[in-house]
Amino acid sequence: MFRTHITRHLSAYHHGELSPDEKRRVEGHLRECARCRRANDEIRRGARLASSLSLSEAPEATWNDLLKLRSASSRPSRRQWIPQAVFAGLAAAAVIVIVGIFSWNSFWRSPSWEVTGLPGTPRLRAGQVLETDSSSTAQVKVANIGQITVDPNTRIRLLVTRSNEHRIALDRGRLEASTWAPPRLFIVETPSAAAVDLGCKYTLEVERDGGSLLHVTLGLVALEREGRETIVPAGAFCRTRAGAGPGTPFFEDSSDRFQSALRDLDSGAGGPERTRQLEIVLREARVRDALSLWHLLPRLNPESRGLIYERLAQLLPPPSGVTRDGIVALDPAMLDAWKKVVSQLWQ
Amino acid sequence: MEQIIDDSTIEACQRGDSDAFRLLFERYKDRVYSIALCFFDGNEAIARDVTQDVFVKLLTSISQFQNRSEFSTWLYRLVTNTCLDRKRTFKRLLSFGTREIEIPDQRRSVEEKYIQRELEASVRKVIAGMKPRLRITVLLKYFEDLSYEEIAAALGCSKGTVASRLNRAHQILARKLSHHV
Repeated sequence: MFRTHITRHLSAYHHGELSPDEKRRVEGHLRECARCRRANDEIRRGARLASSLSLSEAPEATWNDLLKLRSASSRPSRRQWIPQAVFAGLAAAAVIVIVGIFSWNSFWRSPSWEVTGLPGTPRLRAGQVLETDSSSTAQVKVANIGQITVDPNTRIRLLVTRSNEHRIALDRGRLEASTWAPPRLFIVETPSAAAVDLGCKYTLEVERDGGSLLHVTLGLVALEREGRETIVPAGAFCRTRAGAGPGTPFFEDSSDRFQSALRDLDSGAGGPERTRQLEIVLREARVRDALSLWHLLPRLNPESRGLIYERLAQLLPPPSGVTRDGIVALDPAMLDAWKKVVSQLWQ
Repeated sequence: MEQIIDDSTIEACQRGDSDAFRLLFERYKDRVYSIALCFFDGNEAIARDVTQDVFVKLLTSISQFQNRSEFSTWLYRLVTNTCLDRKRTFKRLLSFGTREIEIPDQRRSVEEKYIQRELEASVRKVIAGMKPRLRITVLLKYFEDLSYEEIAAALGCSKGTVASRLNRAHQILARKLSHHV
């Protein structure tokens, strides 16, 4: 029998999601505990009410609307590629020229992305550069998986576009990306890290020193560099530094003092200064800031890890089997087990 | 009758076979529409927009799929993100209020159907007032009957998170609709 109350398991119990052993223990506890029996009755009532939901039929016209949308979305690119006036006046010649180009130069047949907002740049192909000045922005369709808005004074390069990978480089400036692709298909390389899309919406800005700032507004992004990965969920920021890779992610609503101290820790503060900044981080951390504390663990020395363990354990007790010594020693299995607990906060 | 979607249907969609995509659309359209309709508190116009949006995205990027097992996970992730994104965009235009919803069901008597409709309208109203991530978790469970693992994969969270969200949602429903049970 569970020694503690089992209310948090009750929906899973109702839905048959518990293992046989867990189910047996829940049932044992329910026999003994009137409080959990009352909670179980409440969960069952709630589940019965939710079960009254039934499907509604999508309007008949949805399919036809879909076909119209698809047809409309495929027309503009053709119009942009062959301007109407040119086509009308030089139809025969144009056909010959275009056929010739297609035959002689496979470049023009390579996959490309549609660009709007910049005169004279209707398509972007692998190897090409798109650059905006101080007064222009551009919208780019990322193949068929999403779109990006390129802000003024920004330079991007299309590196790869194929069915299983779409990769650009953001050399400078800022972009906003929105994708609906399966995870890990769309990647933005910056001078200091690669932003790997895990199904999301985000802004990414490359600063003059080669560092960058990522802000995720929906879903998740992984920042990667040389095997080191930082997970940034919706509502969080993460800075990267040239030569150092991703910093520690933090939620936008964390305190200014927390963010400032975290920035100092990321910049490699040592000795007494590191101790002072770590004290601020630990003191200011809320439960939600476990995101930052967990990511800090492998970045600091064993003594600091011990302090982080103590604070993190106060905020979110580690699962059974995760020990202070194991965390200080960066035991991969223990780090992963605790991460699963921590990650529930932002999911 | 429910259409069967197998590997060959997905592969045909990836080759651009419009009949196969129609099959896929028929299989999932009511589910996607129902989730969107309930998520947006019965707003049919937004639900229809979301449904179109999801299938346009599906249509334009289905060729990227490597295997069948990821399909439903991806579909429900698309639905989730489209709903959450649309909610952010049109937040100020949404009214969580008084809309009545027609619930088609021909199996019950008139009186039973009326009671059922009233109950379901109340349930939908309570769900519409939940936080968006709680709301979408409930909808994926009760419209799709997905397992906790499948919901977790679609939402990009852990099974524990799914369990705690459903627990909270059940409590809210039971407490707010205590007069119904």
